[in-house]
Amino acid sequence: MPVPGHVGSDYTRLRPEFRVIENPYAPGQRVLLVPAIRCDVALVHAVVAAPDGTCLLDPMEDDALLAQASTVVLVSAERVVDRDAVLRAGPGTLLSGVHVTAVVEAPRGAHPTLVRGVYDLDARHLAEYVAAARDEEAFRAYLARYVFGPKDHAAYLELVG
Amino acid sequence: MTGYTVEELMAAVIAREVRDGETVAVGTLAPVPAAGVLLAHVSHAPRARVIILNHPDYWPFFGGSKEFYDFAQRGGLDLFFLSGAQIDRAGNLNLIAVGDPARPTVRLPGGAGAAMLYYLPRRVIVFRAEHSPRVFVERVDVTTAPGAGPPDVVRPGGPWKAVTPLCVFRFDRARAQLVVEALQPGVTREELQRQTGFPLEWAPDVTTVPPPTADELRLLRTRVRAAVARAYPRFAATAFAA
Repeated sequence: MPVPGHVGSDYTRLRPEFRVIENPYAPGQRVLLVPAIRCDVALVHAVVAAPDGTCLLDPMEDDALLAQASTVVLVSAERVVDRDAVLRAGPGTLLSGVHVTAVVEAPRGAHPTLVRGVYDLDARHLAEYVAAARDEEAFRAYLARYVFGPKDHAAYLELVG
Repeated sequence: MTGYTVEELMAAVIAREVRDGETVAVGTLAPVPAAGVLLAHVSHAPRARVIILNHPDYWPFFGGSKEFYDFAQRGGLDLFFLSGAQIDRAGNLNLIAVGDPARPTVRLPGGAGAAMLYYLPRRVIVFRAEHSPRVFVERVDVTTAPGAGPPDVVRPGGPWKAVTPLCVFRFDRARAQLVVEALQPGVTREELQRQTGFPLEWAPDVTTVPPPTADELRLLRTRVRAAVARAYPRFAATAFAA
């Protein structure tokens, strides 16, 4: 994919897969090319999703792009509803179910981050995460308590309040 | 005592750069430019189109930041704002790493769209709340976004000015050089040079920035503060006086 304007940075030194070529549409001009990223798996959290994978996403995020770049796409959603209800639920970015592998209902599934218009981020929990991330042992304790500890999503939600 | 905060001063300076009718965008982690652009919007630039990333009231797109980047690549932006962990005399920005990028002293968050957004908007204002020799360096350790590009690369725009608590630089595009255009109120040439890691070049007509006016401060502390709080609640709680 071409990136206009961008030649002369250290990216071409740090990322050998980035190439500079002569622009075939404008001889004498150079342009940077970057390869598309293909992901094996994408996890995307939607506001609402239908069983066929059609879902409504946060319009400020690039989740739809991520889904289209990935082989397996797992959508969790605040609520699973029928497809017509997804199409009526806007505003937001609609993602076609064509791109989606599986859908699961997970209320507050974005915790400790937010779903705009549904719930805010959990600033206290994020502060706890940031503090734990500074230290290897504290981070392992965080993972044990919040990630590997709870037996399921409901138990996690109960733990974080 | 000056009667205003550093953030209020920088926001006022940035606001004065916004022209009415322009399309002006503010990226992520940029509360001071957001305050400046909103100040312009509620005063002299009511017809500016204002885009603020992560702001629920100033985000016009439905297709994520991809749509925003595509819009910028098409030439949709008149004015944008960037910063750098290091900024050098040639206007190069470093958002990748301090030290050798293979074994960095500090691993920085990365450039995101900076390397493209530095040239596609017609004007880009660099902002940084810390003006010190470790920020304003002779040569950045890693160039995320170069101030100037080779002549055979299309650059519709580029760096325009740099705003700090101590001064305003303008960017001389032909020579790829930051030039001191104005000192912030109360700052001396000696202090500015002491806090800058490269020998300063001075415009022939260096001036002093006019301090924020009573009107600017009133708007900043009322309407702008309330609007900024929708995207930057902690900033809104601490950056404004009174």
